[in-house]
Amino acid sequence: MKKVILFFSLALNLLSACKRDDVVDEDNTYTLSPPSYFPSVLYPLENNPISKEGFELGKKLFNDPRLSIDNSVACSNCHVKAVAFTDPQHNPSVGVFEQSGTRNAPMIANMAFQSEFLLDGGVSHLDFIPVFAIENKKEMGETISNVVVKLNRTADYPALFKAAFAEIDTITSPYMLKAISQYMLLLISDNAKYDQMLRGEIAFSEEELQGQTIFNEKCATCHAGALFTNHQFINNGLDTTFADIGRALITETNDDLGKFKVPSLRNSMLTAPYMHDGRFKTIREVLDHYRFHVKNSPTLANELHKSGQLGISLTDEEVDNIILFLETLTDYEFIANPKF
Amino acid sequence: MNKLFFSILILTIPFFFTACDKDDDNNDTTGNIEIEFDNIALENGIQKQLSLVTPGSTEYQYSNALGQTFNINLLRYYITNIKLEGPNGELYEDEVSVNASGTKGIYLVDESDLETGHITLTNVPSGNYNKITFTVGVEENGVQEGAAGGVLDPATCNMFWNWNSGYIAVKFEGQSPVSNGGVSGVETLDVSSANGIAYHVGGWRDMEGTAFVYNNKTLSFDFDTNAKVSGNEQPHVHMVFDVLSLFKGVNDIDFTGNHNVHKPLDGVPIAENIPAAFAFDHIHQ
Repeated sequence: MKKVILFFSLALNLLSACKRDDVVDEDNTYTLSPPSYFPSVLYPLENNPISKEGFELGKKLFNDPRLSIDNSVACSNCHVKAVAFTDPQHNPSVGVFEQSGTRNAPMIANMAFQSEFLLDGGVSHLDFIPVFAIENKKEMGETISNVVVKLNRTADYPALFKAAFAEIDTITSPYMLKAISQYMLLLISDNAKYDQMLRGEIAFSEEELQGQTIFNEKCATCHAGALFTNHQFINNGLDTTFADIGRALITETNDDLGKFKVPSLRNSMLTAPYMHDGRFKTIREVLDHYRFHVKNSPTLANELHKSGQLGISLTDEEVDNIILFLETLTDYEFIANPKF
Repeated sequence: MNKLFFSILILTIPFFFTACDKDDDNNDTTGNIEIEFDNIALENGIQKQLSLVTPGSTEYQYSNALGQTFNINLLRYYITNIKLEGPNGELYEDEVSVNASGTKGIYLVDESDLETGHITLTNVPSGNYNKITFTVGVEENGVQEGAAGGVLDPATCNMFWNWNSGYIAVKFEGQSPVSNGGVSGVETLDVSSANGIAYHVGGWRDMEGTAFVYNNKTLSFDFDTNAKVSGNEQPHVHMVFDVLSLFKGVNDIDFTGNHNVHKPLDGVPIAENIPAAFAFDHIHQ
């Protein structure tokens, strides 16, 4: 028992010593430090402590087309920083050999606070997202094992991996995936006008306030909280039959037909096109869908057929104000940050 | 900074462990035990060693309950969360830990590499053990820690589902003359194989109130005698896995039916047969 106490007091001393060091440690900018009003971090950071070297390696991998079968498509082809890591050009995104995918490339931001990824939630851990994208025939069409072979043969990567993960001499897939996760984990978007308003640095205009009020009343059940998503999977009434069954691919139940992940609305003014298949080009089209075109089906979200009425009733002025409010969610610092 | 902390911690830990080890050595309180998973084909009560054939081979050594002949190219499964218990409260739970540098407590038994069927558990408290419990398949404690090395490395294990992230529990590939082909996502067969059969059984999400299909199986077996573990006695527990039982028992599998299984729900009929495919056989003391 004494040993245990001795051990813990030693450990505590070390911890407090480290805390003092932090103040002068310039690598400290490579830690996750989200605002207090963000949800809790769900990524198990203890398995993958973030370092400058790990983050930089992840960034390099994210931008490296050698992760695809013909060395033509990098992660960043379809997740473009200037538009909050989505794809503004193609609908849907185009992978190797000019193949079109079937789904709209989702934003990569604030990933540390989520636990189910992709539009159907099939990927349950941030580390495993690149495995999906690299091995998907229509995205990067490569195998993880061959990517590892290629990286080991390069002139630069072995030393970069060694710098990030001192314990390894040969590159293996888990370290590659951990590095990409370190990069994605720090892609935190938390400095939109909305955040500045929350911090009391600026005030919203009358229209923005009205937009916020109507948003909270009519949209925030699903687009909830600081990330503007409740992290659920819903059918938002796009169709009555489903070319892409969405969440039901993973849960294998008809109860989830046509359901997709509720996206965060942060940076949504930048992330066109919209919906899982990118069918809408503008936010105004999206809002028109909710006003006029919601289609009924057995799995339609309750919120979209309240008291027998399909969709969400909004006046033209309310739509204008909601759009003004959504503009306050654009984080220009995030998309301009040279670190990313 | 963090690195400094961890290096000091790591340097410090052995000091305590050494202190403890000294006591352990004096009292001879731990030993090793070997658990062997031996894949067999049980025909009319007779255990036959499995033989894998070259993919595409039209030699069919085995038959299912419906009399459909087949052969085997690949047989591989995960064993995790091993627990041993004894008559006097003896208890050993094999530690599971998962990280990028490797995994502990997760074993991948592969018929193409017989060594993988021999699992040696170390630092088992001395005593008698007469019961084993283990899980077939990788549980949440192996998946939700993230990318892992060793037998879970997605680049090398050939057991990872990238679209529904998690590990296949039992992977079988082979050929049957009654199959009309059309297999996909296969490791050993060619997708153009006219007679391929592929059963990739997985599904680890065990969550109440959800529709997720959970196909891992946790099984317990009593030994017919005590396995006595001590510093100078290393017992050998011989378990068998009958591949023919994968296709019969709860559900008779028809190779003319769905013979291209890659989703949790499709794997349920095979998964339900898994418990009876394993058996305790004998102990060498």
